[in-house]
Amino acid sequence: MSENVTAAKAAKAPAATFGGRGLTIGIAAAAAVTIVGLVLWGMQLAGGFMDTAMRDFAPWGINIALFMFFVGLSVGSMVVAASPRAFGFESFGGIAKMAAWVPICSTVLAIGFVVVDLGQPLRLWELFAYSNLSSPLMWDIIVLSVYLILSVVYLWTLLRAEKRQASAKALRIVSAVVLLWALVVCAVDGWIFGLMPSRALWNTALLAPWFVSSALASGAALVLVLAIALRRTGYVDVREEHVARLAKLLGAFVCVDLFFFACDLVTEGFPGGSGAGIVGMLVAGQLAPFFWIQIVGCALAAVVCFVPKLRTSPLLVAAGLLTVAGVFCKRMQLVVGGFQVPSLDYATFVTPFTVTSDWGVGLAGAYEGMVYAPTLPEVGLALGVLSLGVLLVLVGLKFLPLSSVQGAN
Amino acid sequence: MTRYGFVIDTTRCVGCNFCSMACKVENNLPEDVWWSRAYTDGGEVEQTPSGEWPDNLHMAFMTVGCQHCDNPACVKACPVGATYKDADTGIVRQDFDKCIGCRMCMAACPYSGVRTFNWEEPKYFLDFPVGSADAPKHQKGVVEKCTMCWHRIAKGERPACADVCRTLARHWGDFDDPDSEVSKLIRDRPYKQLLADEGTGPCVYYLV
Repeated sequence: MSENVTAAKAAKAPAATFGGRGLTIGIAAAAAVTIVGLVLWGMQLAGGFMDTAMRDFAPWGINIALFMFFVGLSVGSMVVAASPRAFGFESFGGIAKMAAWVPICSTVLAIGFVVVDLGQPLRLWELFAYSNLSSPLMWDIIVLSVYLILSVVYLWTLLRAEKRQASAKALRIVSAVVLLWALVVCAVDGWIFGLMPSRALWNTALLAPWFVSSALASGAALVLVLAIALRRTGYVDVREEHVARLAKLLGAFVCVDLFFFACDLVTEGFPGGSGAGIVGMLVAGQLAPFFWIQIVGCALAAVVCFVPKLRTSPLLVAAGLLTVAGVFCKRMQLVVGGFQVPSLDYATFVTPFTVTSDWGVGLAGAYEGMVYAPTLPEVGLALGVLSLGVLLVLVGLKFLPLSSVQGAN
Repeated sequence: MTRYGFVIDTTRCVGCNFCSMACKVENNLPEDVWWSRAYTDGGEVEQTPSGEWPDNLHMAFMTVGCQHCDNPACVKACPVGATYKDADTGIVRQDFDKCIGCRMCMAACPYSGVRTFNWEEPKYFLDFPVGSADAPKHQKGVVEKCTMCWHRIAKGERPACADVCRTLARHWGDFDDPDSEVSKLIRDRPYKQLLADEGTGPCVYYLV
């Protein structure tokens, strides 16, 4: 094994000062940004959505992209956290508890992104009173709620097992159940989009497995980054072999994700027809920046993960962040690209509610660029929701016994 | 059973948007909200002729609103059942008081633009309401669409758009009644339906 040795030495002498003033400042900062986000949400509720770039012809935007993204992140980190115990193979070191807390925060975030996107959030209770069981969105709400409960049960069992108050067998069963359920959540999340017949980019059987592969890639990447970062602060006990195992896993997930993308592009593009237009839109058209950031970022990440000499802590962190950014780009491609190809493309008159475009250029003008590109207030609100997640993670690290180093908590 | 819908004669329609205007007034639609639009079957810009210049040019229009599908994608997608198919009339309805504003139906509906979302507090050009007193009330943050003038049908009237069409291109009636005007029209004349292969079963027929 030619794992990086310097990082391992550094890890052996943890600072054991985790949770000091830095963490408190972090919590305060995250709380402050969350409050800014709440203010922005209040403004959106009062003033409406005209500050966003969402319109009738592109009714979803960055919030839905981030919803998909965080469901994926949650599922991916949960699978990484739970698989060693579920299948009984070698662990990834002392990250299990931390990697069980992250999915809980991610799931809360995903729900948060949908809630701030609703036109009538006060009617949220109707989801449980008038559930329409034929709606893929309803399926997702059900499986996601169950998943959130299972995640909490899993973390609780994990903590109990550590104190020998829960048996290893119980932990293994809970791990297997939560792992299986995480994959169900991911597939159902893909169906929200994949089952819509009118959106050419979404309507493929590949979408659900593809959601799983993207989820695993982004989840493993996040856990890898957190493991390296928290090891540095002396919060978790992770050895170099664990990091290498995580990195190889990440590389494999990234490759599967890229392979699915290749399958999709070839299947769309090969027959010519309208699918070729979709390939063109991704590769060289309006969505090219998102496409190339994802492809190049993920390819680089895979190289770093697979070449032993490159598996140094900074490069692995970079690889993890590239993967996370790449999967986010994929989510933006999906949301924007779904609406970029109108199924009914006849010309008509255009109002400020139809699309965001200058007066007089009509629908054709609106579709020349990206039919949706997030505005500053939208990004601000998204950052506000995001910092709620950061806040949750940090509060968890501070107050929950998630550390694997004696005395850090 | 009753299955209401429209037959629109594209050989007569001149794209005047009179139906869209009648709809807007009858339903007191807010500024910039349209439940019906004339689409041009020509080019990228409204009112572009199709065909080749100079001898082979022609212009065709389709007035497009909710297609009141037999198998509506929106109804399957709505998580709370705020949009639903009325069993007695076949009309796809939208309950403005129930809609949570998730816009799933807009993502699901293949007929781009027939569902509109009130992105802000509805504004009006006039400072008094117009149209029917029993027209639906508009509210911020919910999805709206053509009601097939539910309030008029309840009174035994025809939808406003079908009433005003100056070229007599727009017909409305019950497709389940073999003797209705609309049933006869689609029996005798060639027609097309929008995105028929999506499996939505639209109840709007375009005579060609």
